[in-house]
Amino acid sequence: MLEKEQNLLEQIEKTFNVKGKVIRERRVEVWAEKEMVSSILLYVKNQLGYKHLNHISVIDRLEEGKFQLVYTVYSHETGLTFFVKTKIDRENAEMENIDTIWDQANTYEREMREMYGIQFPGLIGDQDFALEDWDEMPPMRRDFDTEAYASQTFFHQAGREDAQDVRETIADRSGEEVPEFAKKYSRD
Amino acid sequence: MAREKETTLFIGPQHPGITGNMMVKLKVAGDTITNASVQVGYLHRAFEKLIERRNWLQSFTILCRFCVPEPDPMELTYARAVEDLEGREVPERAKYIRTMVMEMARLQSFMLWYAGQSGSAGLYTLGQWSVGDRNYILDLFEELTGGRIYHMYIWPGGVRRDLPKGFKDRALKTMDYLEKRLDEFDKLLFDNVIFQKRAQGVGIVPKDKAIEWGVVGAPLRGCGIKADVRIDEPYDAYDKVDFIVPTHEGGDVWSRAQVRRIEARQSISIIRQVLEKMPEGEVYNKVPNPMKWTIPAGEAWAKTESVRGEVGFYVVSDGSDKPRRVHVKGAAYTNGITVTEKILKGQNIADVSFILNSMGVCPPEMER
Repeated sequence: MLEKEQNLLEQIEKTFNVKGKVIRERRVEVWAEKEMVSSILLYVKNQLGYKHLNHISVIDRLEEGKFQLVYTVYSHETGLTFFVKTKIDRENAEMENIDTIWDQANTYEREMREMYGIQFPGLIGDQDFALEDWDEMPPMRRDFDTEAYASQTFFHQAGREDAQDVRETIADRSGEEVPEFAKKYSRD
Repeated sequence: MAREKETTLFIGPQHPGITGNMMVKLKVAGDTITNASVQVGYLHRAFEKLIERRNWLQSFTILCRFCVPEPDPMELTYARAVEDLEGREVPERAKYIRTMVMEMARLQSFMLWYAGQSGSAGLYTLGQWSVGDRNYILDLFEELTGGRIYHMYIWPGGVRRDLPKGFKDRALKTMDYLEKRLDEFDKLLFDNVIFQKRAQGVGIVPKDKAIEWGVVGAPLRGCGIKADVRIDEPYDAYDKVDFIVPTHEGGDVWSRAQVRRIEARQSISIIRQVLEKMPEGEVYNKVPNPMKWTIPAGEAWAKTESVRGEVGFYVVSDGSDKPRRVHVKGAAYTNGITVTEKILKGQNIADVSFILNSMGVCPPEMER
């Protein structure tokens, strides 16, 4: 049982002196220092056939002052998904650029730079990903308050207050009367 | 020969039909594209951020909007990730219903693809037909879930409710009708010399680079590589139905179209099998009060096969009543950005929207 998974784990642990575990069938993870990540990824891609980069994810561990990065790769030959996980400091967050290993990592890294403020030295691609001219705190950080930002940035649209029927507001503005049949749906 | 002067050309952000709002910034020399850069941001609504402020069930109202043409894989992938974290079992009947829903979602999405692919070649009749016929599947969805496009029907622990009375009969009749219509579609698209000439040898994904580039779904199978999450890592009732995963050599628009042509028929076959084999029983392993429902701390990665390819969710719980992080990797995140940028080089301007449709570009799942 889970022989393939154990073999993969042992091979990585032995080669890189890192610790990991078999999560369940087809899922293996290792935790590594940030300096080791690109070496492990290069090794599993070129030596073990994990050629498909599924995903790169960031989790903001605000309480620890860290960002957790998860690199997910997959082998079409073994059918195993392998996770390389690491933590980096939130302050002056910086991680090695891996778009030299997989071109598509460029998109993930541009997005992480924009949404979390993580820098990737050597990353080509200065343009914004999804946000335009954003100069606030990177918005996906846990301490970015979406509600406060929205209330400070956008004006309040009348008629959207709680328990207020938008049709009545429109009727007030236009001077028209709300028909009887429509009034019965009013939350009042 | 003197080098032709390069001009910058913007395609979008208005979308060329079906794909969605994004922009492709092109450098062109004459009619030939020398460089392409995909620029997104026109549909960014901070979905992933909003989910962090909602409880585990409320997230479903947002999740389905990650991809308008095919919302159900989003619901299923998230539900499976949550089930994985919690260890919640799904009743056997619910697994069959989920499989049926997924294939109905694929089928209606194929209908949209027919419209986009043919429309971008200037063949408008097929688009009218396929979008019209798609409504019959949406009727079934409405009957089953209450919604035509967004369903919020698949939940952790199963599905919200059982099939309505007489649903099986109506669904089978719809499948009979659609199967005949697919033959008509073939005549309009695959037998059409315009489509043949436009699609063959255009937008080629090289087979030896496909996996490394992160290509998934029909574009990968269109390179002759057999890869499908439903087979490689079966979920729900996919291991209990017979279906083939078609491949086609070539890697061009034509190959991808051939793959989808067969897959649409396979979806009909799977729906029929599921309806016949579906066991009786419960459909929902009820979750506790959603307002107080907490999920054990942990991380889970789940993936499913959509029409566009592999959809993956990385879901993290810190043990509270809200997700700590839900990170979505839609098929278009690679297929529609880096891969599209590469394959557009050397192509003709007139083929841009044609290739975008063929790659299954879906901007809302790129910028979430």
